[in-house]
Amino acid sequence: MGNIIGDFLAAALLSVFLQNFILERALGINILLYASRQKSNVIGFALGLCYITVLSSAATWVLDNFLGEHEYYKMAAPVLYVLVIGIIYTVSLIVIWKFFHKLFRKIRKYVHLTVFNCAVLGALFLNSQIGEDIFSYMGYGFGTAVGFFIAGCLLYIAHERLNSELVPAAFRGMPIMIVYVGILSMALHALSGYVV
Amino acid sequence: MIKEKSREKGRERLSDGLVRQNIVLMSSIAIAPVAACATNYENALALSVGFTVIAFFSVLICRFIPQNIVYTIRIIIYAIVAALVFIPAYMLLEFLYGSEVATGLGVYLPILAVNPLILTKTETRFRLRPLHLMTLELAGYITGFNLVCIGVGIARDILINRRIANFNVDLGFTVPAASTTFGGFIIVGIAAGLFRWLYNQSKERQSKKAEKEKVHQELLKLVES
Repeated sequence: MGNIIGDFLAAALLSVFLQNFILERALGINILLYASRQKSNVIGFALGLCYITVLSSAATWVLDNFLGEHEYYKMAAPVLYVLVIGIIYTVSLIVIWKFFHKLFRKIRKYVHLTVFNCAVLGALFLNSQIGEDIFSYMGYGFGTAVGFFIAGCLLYIAHERLNSELVPAAFRGMPIMIVYVGILSMALHALSGYVV
Repeated sequence: MIKEKSREKGRERLSDGLVRQNIVLMSSIAIAPVAACATNYENALALSVGFTVIAFFSVLICRFIPQNIVYTIRIIIYAIVAALVFIPAYMLLEFLYGSEVATGLGVYLPILAVNPLILTKTETRFRLRPLHLMTLELAGYITGFNLVCIGVGIARDILINRRIANFNVDLGFTVPAASTTFGGFIIVGIAAGLFRWLYNQSKERQSKKAEKEKVHQELLKLVES
């Protein structure tokens, strides 16, 4: 039991701090820029991401273990991963639609953005490179969502100032936010021991 | 007159994706591969070839997926189509640049299968246009991405290695951090700001010119009357 929790936490911490998806790998940055406009969006996207990455990480561990050695697996992996995500997405939507009407109406506008994005697919690919057992796969998936939440909060806090008139018009909004993400990313690099 | 109008429309569609809605510098839906992966000219070129094949053929195929299939399922089909197109794209890259470059692109090539250009824009833009206009618009989007990607690759190649491909470009200094993701973010952010500034300038100039022309026409009318 201790080992399971240990594997899960180690992988989660790794993906939050040392290999943060947004700040270290730039995966899911477009969703982050969209979500960081509102606090509720950051929470909603992080929860959606957590659900889909943890579940699909567990499913892809099975695929990686059984088919990983195959010659053409590297090329077929995107199709298989998309299928896994698609099945989880469809089943979850059906359940939500059947039993939680209010929630379904609330999330249906942006649920596909949460599910089909490079953060989710990227997490599955990186899992296959560094994950070992099913718990480290799931931990990495969980850490992806936590990393997204942290980056989202940091961006949300700065959002108003980065969109204010203090910033030159051409840089206001998206360009300065990307530069800001770059500075956050630099700080995280320093934390993980980056030396020029 | 009709031909000229349709040509004008085509030009508008092309420039829309190329400039006004550039997917890296304006709408920021494809920043990740450029910021993280276009660290030199070769990588940027390979990424552009991969993106061209995946985006062009995926959108073209997705256009013919019947619209009576519910959106929830349709979006999965779009992603599967793009993931299938990834296979020949990967093989092409291996053939053109060798397996080292193709593998070097890492996760940034397969994740193009879930790029919003394919999943979202197919639904909101490409499906709504006649085929020839859609192709032009798509070509604009893809060319826009490729130009930015290769531009960033060249800039980083100069800053890191003092060269572009095999040509030496000695600036007298190097910026090794340009090879990192944060370097990529900062370069793309600054490029986006400059691009927007240039775009706003040209738009302002155009509107001033149009205003002047309008005044001129009104004066002419007054003189005539």
